[in-house]
Amino acid sequence: MELTGRHKVNATPSTLWNMLMDTDTLSKIVPGISKLEKTGDNSYKSILEIKIGPVGGSFKGDLQMENIEEQKGFTLKVQQNSSVGNANAAIKIELIPVTIEETEVAFDGEVKVTGLLASMGQRILGSAANVITKQFFTNLDHELAKQQATS
Amino acid sequence: MSTNNGNGADAPNRFIGKSVKRVEDKRFTTGHGRYTDDIVLPHQTYAAFVRSQYAHAKIVSVNITTAKAMPGVVAIYTGAHVAEVNGVPCGWQVNFKNGTPMKEPKHPLLVTDKARHVGDAIAIVIARSKEEAEDAAQAVEVKYEELPCEIDAFKAAQPGAPLVHDDVPNNICYDWALGNPIDEVNAAMNSASHVTTLEFVNQRLIPNAIEPRCYNASYDRIHDHYTLYTSSQNPHVIRLLMCAFVLGIPEHKVRVVSPDVGGGFGSKIFHYTEEALLTWCSKHIGRPVKWTAERSESFLTDAHGRDHITKAEMGFDNDGKIVALRVKTYANLGAYLSTFGSCVPSYLHGTLMQGLYTTPKINIDVTAVFTHTTAVDAYRGAGRPEATYVLERLMDLAAHEMKVDPVELRFKNFIPPFDGVTQPGYQTQVALQYDSGNYHGVLEKGLQMLGYDDFRKAQKEAAHNGKLLGVGFSTYIEACGIAPSSVVGSLGARAGLFEFGQVRVQPTGKVTVFTGSHSHGQGHETTFAQVVADKLGISMDDVHIVHGDTGKIGFGMGTYGSRSLAVGGTAIVKSIEKIIEKGKKIAAHLLEASADDIDFANGNFTVKGTDKSIPFANIALTAYVPHKYPDDLEPGLDFSSFYDPANFTYPFGCHIAVVEVDKETGKVTLKRFIAVDDVGNIINPMIVEGQIHGGVAQGIGQALFEGAEYDNNGQLTNASYMDYCMPRADDFPMYETATQITPCPHNPLGVKGAGEAGAIGSTPAVVNAVLDALWSGGHEVKDIRMPLTSERVWRAMQN
Repeated sequence: MELTGRHKVNATPSTLWNMLMDTDTLSKIVPGISKLEKTGDNSYKSILEIKIGPVGGSFKGDLQMENIEEQKGFTLKVQQNSSVGNANAAIKIELIPVTIEETEVAFDGEVKVTGLLASMGQRILGSAANVITKQFFTNLDHELAKQQATS
Repeated sequence: MSTNNGNGADAPNRFIGKSVKRVEDKRFTTGHGRYTDDIVLPHQTYAAFVRSQYAHAKIVSVNITTAKAMPGVVAIYTGAHVAEVNGVPCGWQVNFKNGTPMKEPKHPLLVTDKARHVGDAIAIVIARSKEEAEDAAQAVEVKYEELPCEIDAFKAAQPGAPLVHDDVPNNICYDWALGNPIDEVNAAMNSASHVTTLEFVNQRLIPNAIEPRCYNASYDRIHDHYTLYTSSQNPHVIRLLMCAFVLGIPEHKVRVVSPDVGGGFGSKIFHYTEEALLTWCSKHIGRPVKWTAERSESFLTDAHGRDHITKAEMGFDNDGKIVALRVKTYANLGAYLSTFGSCVPSYLHGTLMQGLYTTPKINIDVTAVFTHTTAVDAYRGAGRPEATYVLERLMDLAAHEMKVDPVELRFKNFIPPFDGVTQPGYQTQVALQYDSGNYHGVLEKGLQMLGYDDFRKAQKEAAHNGKLLGVGFSTYIEACGIAPSSVVGSLGARAGLFEFGQVRVQPTGKVTVFTGSHSHGQGHETTFAQVVADKLGISMDDVHIVHGDTGKIGFGMGTYGSRSLAVGGTAIVKSIEKIIEKGKKIAAHLLEASADDIDFANGNFTVKGTDKSIPFANIALTAYVPHKYPDDLEPGLDFSSFYDPANFTYPFGCHIAVVEVDKETGKVTLKRFIAVDDVGNIINPMIVEGQIHGGVAQGIGQALFEGAEYDNNGQLTNASYMDYCMPRADDFPMYETATQITPCPHNPLGVKGAGEAGAIGSTPAVVNAVLDALWSGGHEVKDIRMPLTSERVWRAMQN
């Protein structure tokens, strides 16, 4: 399944970068995260609660950031296991300056799923991904607004 | 249709030919069927499987520590535990064109090194309850190293494709050809004035028996004896394969029981790994162990059907006579050879390429290929629907290309009628000899029912009004009554395909029949009882049919290939003849006459030309209380017979579909479906009609709705009833059915078999009808890939 999204936010790349690098903020932005634990400089252990159509479950696994270019982007490697199937993804995330005050967040990647997720969830995986993507950007806007209000 | 509940007047053929209501339906419709899952044994345990999530992956490690400590867990076995046990065998050897045997990689009970399809079994978890077994199975940790996979038979056979089995080059199980030498066929094709070429996919189907596969195995330590309850179409075959080829247990130490079985459609013929593994486990844990497939597990592990990629060419002379047929097929076998996986695309497919036509030169070439998918094997029709699809699609397309009527083209090429008695059978170019046929007859009858001339007028008018109406034809033949042992033995079958039937007359004159056929929806308890009651002149209530238990029935080959009545029924008839012959001797003694002078009719033994007569029940009593009895005769009245048919039987027919295609959406509406089938003599017209109805639904299902969809990672993406489109009652019009009767000349009942006809004839009729509708609107479309969803039809119209 392809996972792509673009969203313009009122923040500089550096503000966004700091948010994405902060475990607490990240755990508030990524939909479904119930636990996020930093295990290394660029790696995390996570538990995600996700429901896709008839298939839902608790996903455990690793998140790893690779090809990091400060304030420009990185590739997020995801390896999540659950009793309803495994998900494997490599998502390229880019921060593209639009104006001095605006940045576009773009991501592009592929998700491979197995087990029940593949055999029963795949039909609606695309629309589920859209919902998750939308939620991610909504959360991002929300966190940004909170931070801008307190600063 | 008149019905007869068994209390009818005492007259010849009181039951044969009548639509007697099915005696088994009382228990089925009131919830009293007894299926394998209903059987709970003392100290019962339950199994769950850990199955591969990847289509192709190295199994790096399997950690069972956590799972083993979970509540209720009795035992966990992985591939390492059964590495020494043989895999399940293939029942039919097909040879490469160069004569070397096909590649037969091991099909292990549990995998050790790598998984070869999604659903491949990695471990079995046994616990006190099903829920505990499933929980523990989820706690088994499997580390995979994912490997590249291939799901497409053509691509898998190309150099460099990922290998399913390291020792099978290019994934090719065998290449095989049948018919006339290819040079002769090429020459004939080159001489043709018109050649119709068609490339298409006959898609993969999931069999979807309503009862999932279920097994319950137990071991009796005191007697060193196993019992396996299995939802199977052929318990004796399972016992034979499991004992002799997999577990090395002597057959007399094993009883296999197939009680009520909720549908098979072929998918329950095969000896599955779970059957042998559960039997093995039952001895190791000393307790009975049961497994019932989850529905999603059935989708992933029941052997699938069809999956051919085909290029077919048919050459015609100036007159529209077929001069040559050339077919090349890549057949997908899945990851492992299932029990009859090898013979379906070869001997059950290639041998039907003559169809109903006088084609003088035929060559069919098949490459059978392993892929990273679930095993493919026989599914209702098994090879014959694929062959029919090739021929009947070509006929309608050729007629369209040559601008002739598809009906006229068929009449021009039909084999003339022959009865197989006064006229010889028809020798085909592809190894078979048809028994009897009247192919013109079924098409003529179908055209009458359709009102063909009126239809073509209505179609023109509809096109004028912007509506797309279409008609599609399919005139099919199948080889049933599987099968003469000597013939199939010479073609590579590793078992004879005869049948066993025993008739035991009880002292009271009631009759128990033991048959090696197995009923899983066909209604044997009714049809067989009709035959026995008529032949012995007794009431149907006095006949009890026993099937599905190796502990009760001497032997059996089971039910598939539309064989039960033609082969199993004949074995019973042969035993009845022995009963009557012995009864005559007893009667002769009692009536002080010669046995030659005794007639048996209407349940009475009578001295010819006199009114001296003894009823059947008195003879039965005398046989068991032989106070006054011939000196040279044994007591008792109980005979068994094995019947090995002389030839296949060849049912045939004509199916016609009428569809309307919505121009805006591409939606296909099936307006009419006409089926004229000739299945030889008919014992129970209602049951035959029911078989046709069910088969037609499955055939239309293939044309319009069904299809297994794998993604490029080898994941089956529609493994549930939310995602796999099963046909429903409101998708169909009421079928218009009729029969023609051309008796089979080589069995005493004159029957040919009706179980698969519906699924064989119907599919191309529907696809042809959709294309005809599109042609009527000026859309020059050669093929639309099945299933013909609205989207595919709409897209085809846009080009």
